[in-house]
Amino acid sequence: MKRILLTLLMMSLLFLGGCWDRTEINDLAIITGAAIDAADDNQIELSVQVFIPRALSAGRGSTSSGGNLTLVKSAKGASIADAIALLQTKIPRKIFWGHCEVFIFGEDMAKRGIAEEMDFLVRHPQPRERAYMFVSKGKAAKTLELRPELERYSSEVIREMSDMHIGMLVTIIQLKEMLRGKSNAAALPLIDVMPPPNEAKGLETAPYIMGTAVFRKGKMVGEINEKATRGVMWIRGEVERYTVTAKLKNVQGTVSLNPIHSDIKFIPSIRNGQWQMTIKAKTEGDVVQNGTNLDMSNPEMIKLVEKAFQQDIEDRIELALKQVQHEMKADIFDFATDFYREYPQEWKAAKNNWDEIFPNVKVITDIHAYVRRPGLVTLPGGIPEEEVREK
Amino acid sequence: MNRNGRKWWRTNKHKLEPARQNSPSPYAHLTLSKETKENLQTLQDIYSKCSDVIFRPFYIGKTIKAHVVFISGLCTVQDVDQYVLTPLMQANENEFPDMEQMAEQVLAVSRIKNLATIADCIEEIGSGNPVLLWEGEERALSLGLAKWEKRNIEEPSAEVGIRGPREGFTETLDVNTSQIRRRIKDPALKMERMKIGGYTQTEVIVAYMEGIVDQTLVEEAKARLNRIQIDGILESGYIEEMIEDNPASPFPQLKDTERPDTACSALLEGRVVILVDGTPFALIAPVTFFALFQAAEDYYQRYIISTAIRWLRYLFLGISLLLPSLYVAIITFHQEMVPTSLLISMAASREAVPFPGLVEALLMEITFEALREAGVRLPKQIGAAVSIVGALVIGQAAVDAGLVSAPMVIVVAITGIANFMVPRYSVGTAVRLLRFPIMFLAGTLGLLGVMLGLIAIVVHLCTLRSFGVPYLSGISPLKPKEWKDILYRSPWWAMKTRPHFTGEFNQYRQAPDQKPGPERSEDP
Repeated sequence: MKRILLTLLMMSLLFLGGCWDRTEINDLAIITGAAIDAADDNQIELSVQVFIPRALSAGRGSTSSGGNLTLVKSAKGASIADAIALLQTKIPRKIFWGHCEVFIFGEDMAKRGIAEEMDFLVRHPQPRERAYMFVSKGKAAKTLELRPELERYSSEVIREMSDMHIGMLVTIIQLKEMLRGKSNAAALPLIDVMPPPNEAKGLETAPYIMGTAVFRKGKMVGEINEKATRGVMWIRGEVERYTVTAKLKNVQGTVSLNPIHSDIKFIPSIRNGQWQMTIKAKTEGDVVQNGTNLDMSNPEMIKLVEKAFQQDIEDRIELALKQVQHEMKADIFDFATDFYREYPQEWKAAKNNWDEIFPNVKVITDIHAYVRRPGLVTLPGGIPEEEVREK
Repeated sequence: MNRNGRKWWRTNKHKLEPARQNSPSPYAHLTLSKETKENLQTLQDIYSKCSDVIFRPFYIGKTIKAHVVFISGLCTVQDVDQYVLTPLMQANENEFPDMEQMAEQVLAVSRIKNLATIADCIEEIGSGNPVLLWEGEERALSLGLAKWEKRNIEEPSAEVGIRGPREGFTETLDVNTSQIRRRIKDPALKMERMKIGGYTQTEVIVAYMEGIVDQTLVEEAKARLNRIQIDGILESGYIEEMIEDNPASPFPQLKDTERPDTACSALLEGRVVILVDGTPFALIAPVTFFALFQAAEDYYQRYIISTAIRWLRYLFLGISLLLPSLYVAIITFHQEMVPTSLLISMAASREAVPFPGLVEALLMEITFEALREAGVRLPKQIGAAVSIVGALVIGQAAVDAGLVSAPMVIVVAITGIANFMVPRYSVGTAVRLLRFPIMFLAGTLGLLGVMLGLIAIVVHLCTLRSFGVPYLSGISPLKPKEWKDILYRSPWWAMKTRPHFTGEFNQYRQAPDQKPGPERSEDP
């Protein structure tokens, strides 16, 4: 009998203390994307894209253009935490960050500095460390209000786009590493809104990744376009899916290749006080289009293509270096860490002057490009056989 | 506390009347007398108001008065007429000086037993054998003509298999023992008979393989059976509960089977099989948790497939125990754990549901259990109707009415299916029951609660024993040799030893190196 009483008492403990942090899905405001913009008086404006469950359950499949799946709410505050407190008063459900996979900083905000707000994102337990970070051209909140045609809501569009690695992909944790790293520079993908097809459709358009925003010491110092972004991604070894279209010397037409594999190595060296970085790259690609009259089964011809391939990559890297290293002076390639690892003593002496040293680091590129597969046909597909050049 | 100062929960204790003893029988002291009249009178007193007991007086030859006593229905009247009455009545009583010779020469009955006491007579009459009382003899003769209406051997309904023998045990003990004996012909198969149950006098057989079984196990089993003092045994479940190691556990500590082949395989592994008259369910002891996941068919079909199916069973054991709890825990506490698009669909479907996740889950699970129980008990004709109503109510209508969400229906359905994957009904019910406390824990403490519940179950399983054998034997205590029949079902040519905990004295089942394949030359 005593045992039964004791068990009952212990069971009741479960229910007494139990459900204090229980939240039903019905009571959550699931945030799918957030935008942080600069506001007046050094304040920030936090906008969140909240998923509306009823919109999905009511329609059951027929949720095309009519219903809006998300709503956007904004609040101003001294910091994100402050703004959230205010935002909560405008939303009847508990704000839930666990599924927010997209954070967008407005351009003004980025220029003012993102360090302060980053602290919230890494400190608070709810935001995912693997959420993607972006900088938007102009005001960030407008991106959230878009109604894309293909995906369910706009933050899903940018997330899916980032997953394809066409631009840079930076998560909260990676951004934290960049900001706290030796180089003190960071890069975030830069998004913009595609102009709507016509005036009437207004918001029915989608954001896209247009380039990269470059940060130094937590502040955005400039932006680079899509082409230079490719160069940056090349140097950072993040290239996955894209097409190189090379123009061959003395040949009419172009050859397009899909790189399938690339290997990047940084070799830092300091000689007579001259800091120098050798970027060694080995890449392989497949021919996807041959607009020339070259025979792709001929090794000699392939050599020509390889050379053009190599040249193209070198150009891209050069372009990226020119803009990022010489103009913005931001070490987003993280050369600093490589120097620190190879030359810890020298780094120690020079680390306070890294901002001055970095633009003067001599970069030598050593690219080896190979064409491995000519595709399904060896001869050019669209011209008579007699016109194919064999030598 | 009440007025006289005693605690309230102690006031209700009565001294219970001791149960009627198994033995000795109250008639044990009565021996048969020379006077048939006296014997007859005693028996008639004992069987007063028993309309089914038949006393048939007759004369052997012309002069010797005799009686045959039997219970109608437990032996055929034709047999009694043909093999007992006819030869005895036509015999010349003067040729035979005593009953023994008469029996040897005249009675065409193969099973004959001399009885000396009234108690013996009652026992024989009770088991259906006609008893012959004889003028001037101090003993009676039991004639083994017992025969009654019984169910035919049929396919076991609780343990169905696609490949394997189709016959199952029946309610008749002799039929069951014969099915085992037909499979194991060696005299090492011993069947010890005992009677349990004061009124029912149910025959119970302890079967084992001498030379394989641990003799102490047999002694223990017999000792536990002998301890039982109860008025009646109507099913082996009575015995199971009286002899198991830990009565306060939802898990069965003896395996029940309806299949003679399963019983035989247990015998060959050195286990003890307890057969009970009146039920087709035999008990196997000792048993481990993993043995309860072995179906007879596992050993008849290809081992690769059996292994895969065994893993599927373990997986679905986990699902049937945990899925509703995990669902409740995740939707109420850990919403960040599910992929975003899934959460969005779940949020959309839960939007109209008025209950918290835990209540929703309990509602559905209890309804499902009720439907299942109703389906089992209802007559076959109504059963179909119930399943239709159930499918409609649980499935479509409840979702449409906004009482439950569609994902919950899927969870309950998968859990229901998962439960049927467990080949032993008794384990399945244990898991079914344990699902509910874990669901409560999940609803109050989230995944932490689920883990707590799981830990409690594992600790409990670790403490369980079946006839002294640890319940998780093979995994804990760890015996990699036993994995051949736990983690996978090894092929027969690799199943070299018997399970360690039962067949220690005769370890090897088979000759070594029997893996089939092309002949290999002796020297390389």
